Amino acid sequence: MTGRSTESPRAMRTSARDRAGGLRYAVAFVLAIAALATLSLYRETMGFPMFYLVLLTTMLFWVTQATSWNILSGYSGYFSFGQAAYVGVGAYTTAVLYGRHQINFYLTLVVSAALCAVLALAVGALAFRLRSLRGEIFALLTLAVPFILAALARIRPEIDGGQGVVVPIPPFPAELGRFQDFLYLINLLVAGAAVAVAFGMQQSRAGWALAAIRDAEDVAEGLGVATFRYKLQALVTSGVIGGVGGSVFALQIGFVAVESVFNLTIPLFVIVMSVLGGRSHWFGPVIGVAFIVLLQDRLTASGLGDWQLIALGVVLAGLVIIAPDGLYARLRARPVPVLATFALVTAALWIPDLPAEPLDAILAGMLAATAVALWRPRRRGAVPQTRAAETSAAVTDADAGTPAVTAADASAVARPSDAAKPATPATEPGEVLVECRGVARYFGGVRALEDVTLTIREGELVGLVGPNGSGKTTLVGLLSGNLRPTRGSIRVAGHEITGLPPHRVAHVGVARTYQIPRPFASMTVRDNVAMAIMFGRSPEPLAAARRDAQRHLEVVGLDALADVYPSALNLHQRQLLEMARALATDPKLLLLDEALAGLNPAEIDNAVEVLRRIHRSGVTIVIVEHLLRVVNQLATRIIVLDRGTCLADGDPRAVMSDPAVIQAYLGKRAHA
Amino acid sequence: MITLQAALAGALIGGLYALMAAGVSVTWGVLRIINLAHFGMILLSAYLTFQLVTSWGMDPILTLVVTVPGMFVLGGAIQWAYDRLGISELNSLLLSFGLLILMVQAVSIVWSADFQRMHESANPYATGSVTVGGLVFPITTLLAFGFAVSLIAGAHVALQRTFLGRALRACAEDPAVAAAFGIDHRRIGTLLGAAAGATAAVAGMLFALANALTPASAFEWFGTVFAVVILGGIGHLVGTLAAGVLVGMVSGVVSVVLSPAAAPFVLFSAIVLALLLRPQGLFATRGAA
Repeated sequence: MTGRSTESPRAMRTSARDRAGGLRYAVAFVLAIAALATLSLYRETMGFPMFYLVLLTTMLFWVTQATSWNILSGYSGYFSFGQAAYVGVGAYTTAVLYGRHQINFYLTLVVSAALCAVLALAVGALAFRLRSLRGEIFALLTLAVPFILAALARIRPEIDGGQGVVVPIPPFPAELGRFQDFLYLINLLVAGAAVAVAFGMQQSRAGWALAAIRDAEDVAEGLGVATFRYKLQALVTSGVIGGVGGSVFALQIGFVAVESVFNLTIPLFVIVMSVLGGRSHWFGPVIGVAFIVLLQDRLTASGLGDWQLIALGVVLAGLVIIAPDGLYARLRARPVPVLATFALVTAALWIPDLPAEPLDAILAGMLAATAVALWRPRRRGAVPQTRAAETSAAVTDADAGTPAVTAADASAVARPSDAAKPATPATEPGEVLVECRGVARYFGGVRALEDVTLTIREGELVGLVGPNGSGKTTLVGLLSGNLRPTRGSIRVAGHEITGLPPHRVAHVGVARTYQIPRPFASMTVRDNVAMAIMFGRSPEPLAAARRDAQRHLEVVGLDALADVYPSALNLHQRQLLEMARALATDPKLLLLDEALAGLNPAEIDNAVEVLRRIHRSGVTIVIVEHLLRVVNQLATRIIVLDRGTCLADGDPRAVMSDPAVIQAYLGKRAHA
Repeated sequence: MITLQAALAGALIGGLYALMAAGVSVTWGVLRIINLAHFGMILLSAYLTFQLVTSWGMDPILTLVVTVPGMFVLGGAIQWAYDRLGISELNSLLLSFGLLILMVQAVSIVWSADFQRMHESANPYATGSVTVGGLVFPITTLLAFGFAVSLIAGAHVALQRTFLGRALRACAEDPAVAAAFGIDHRRIGTLLGAAAGATAAVAGMLFALANALTPASAFEWFGTVFAVVILGGIGHLVGTLAAGVLVGMVSGVVSVVLSPAAAPFVLFSAIVLALLLRPQGLFATRGAA
């Protein structure tokens, strides 16, 4: 919902400036790590109390775990309740190999990472293969995994057997100081690496793919995103980070027992922290961790340890209601007042140098800042409009060098054309593009399609019509790879597509739109289209994709709305966005599933004009439509389906006067 | 013989799992709310039963007079709140997780985290048992099974036969269309939440009859109960009962044949398999019942 919102103003930057931005982040990141490291390395010189170092170590452990969780669950939307599995596997790997068998401690970190990667791969390979996998089922599946592992550890004496395992202090360079210093530094290293990975991932193609999966997974797949691969990648990354963190945790607790590492409070904490901070952004978990660990510590220090969990429960429940998008998004929206409140309140409580604990001052500052961040004056939607206007102007300037489509349009419009006649295609029907042979598709006992054989040639604009339930949408699903035929073969541009996952079908050159538009809600209109270019048949990097998105938006006439979010579009505009997004994949074949449903006559006329424009640019189109007026106007050929079979196929006027077709549509008597 | 005994005893205990699961399953299937707070209500009822029996000397079963109306109101209120806030399915998981923690911690502040058990003098059902042909059945498990079967069967019939039940199923299919036919989704949802709360009260009482209580029990139910919900098919009451019995039997037999520590391993491995092979549930045909 949010992470992307922070990106939209950057849409216009060139890639060079993007790189500069990345460099700035890198410098800031290294400085932050160095500053944190100083606290330990020069602890005695600075007089930094050991107690704070312990608290920071705890925070770093949770930063690692929350970031690990966030990479999968925050980015992709697949919630995991199984974080304890990674902590447990990591901790036991180190405990058994190093604690019991004296294998080099640092080596055990690598083994932990490998084991967790294998675990994640196994879970992912099984779970993500399920076509019907829903988020809640995945969540419960991950809930079961730590239970299984905990039981395994309890039964097997080689692992634990019920007594627990002692983890001694490993050798470390003496210059680092005490063991606590070493522990802090190694946690800092791991947490720093985790955050860096999360940052890199969010900026990369994978980050965009995961955001698209979170918003509308099968749409992303249909646009060419290899969803299975990206989900698995996120899951394995999350596992490796969680496992290494678990290994270090074994050192921290010194004694590993089933109850302490396979504990349900681990996923609980991780979820609360990420949700609080903001789960769609790499920095969210860090904020959440700082807040929660500090809150916990202060509650315990003031003798309210019993209320720790109550506070957590209240925070979690309250946040889901008030700010499901987390604090970070709110902070980004109004950084100055929030940070100012934090600084003021903290300073006010700190400077008078009462016997008060500085941590109390910091916590009070955080609470006040949170209140400011969450309070939001009631006005919405005014901002993006103005921004859209200025940026679209900027882009038209920038794109002056590539006027291809507009020029083509101009000449096409200038050409005299009779609207009543079927549109003459720019290209005469050419090579065979689609070839269906004996295609059947059953749903259980229902025969949605039976023995359909047809070919579509390049440059055609085929109207696919038929009564309700005749199998039109099923055929579209088969052609786009969303469904697999029960029997028969489908070839597109010479490639057999039966059995290919939808994203591969998209790369062959098939794009589809959905009856009910499903935009990526967390991305601007421009980024919705850029997404499709990035993962389409001829992929481009983000900056170039954003530039080229403009062209497709012009084709459908949405260029003025490029920087608003899809929630601000009406139905017609959303359907146009669907078309622009499908076009952006650079398809040979465009499947439009009732793309005009629910539009008023003026909007239909506009959409018809857009379809003509798309067709003239050389894309073969199959349009499913109930409005015969539209189909008659547009199509070069009509295919009529009735109860799963091909009833008629050919020139629009001939087909529409075919008695069998009239009977299927209107019944027998009307014909007579 | 021992194995048979374990299987039968497990099956009877499975009735209790099924009863705990029924409330979760129906609110999930019909209202699209995954209500983890249900476990909190079961826990609260168990402790209330314990308290009423211990301090007032009430008959444990008689405590239902207090806990059932109490949980009816609480369950209804929670459901009403979910509905008012327009909570989505996934967010309900988070929100109710928060509520569950709250309730568990509240219980542990009031009653402490130590194990507590009803005193035997106050609990006439604790020690009795029925012997049939060498097989021993404790009264507590028989009671649990009896309550579970009658409540679940009753609820199933109510869903199938009554107007209210049909209205509920209509809501489960398509809330918008149901609303167009004059079904008040919110009122019906609240009622269903309340009814689920009432079953939580009974489940809590039955648990307290046979077990020592600790606040952490709520988390221990978690795994098993969700196993039953999923195996039975979400929103599918008869399936839930069958799954509960099956899960109880498997746990019982594995505990005896292998070891009690192995039971969760076998159980959850079976669940993972079941989830992968039949995500719609072992016994589900289709839709909510």
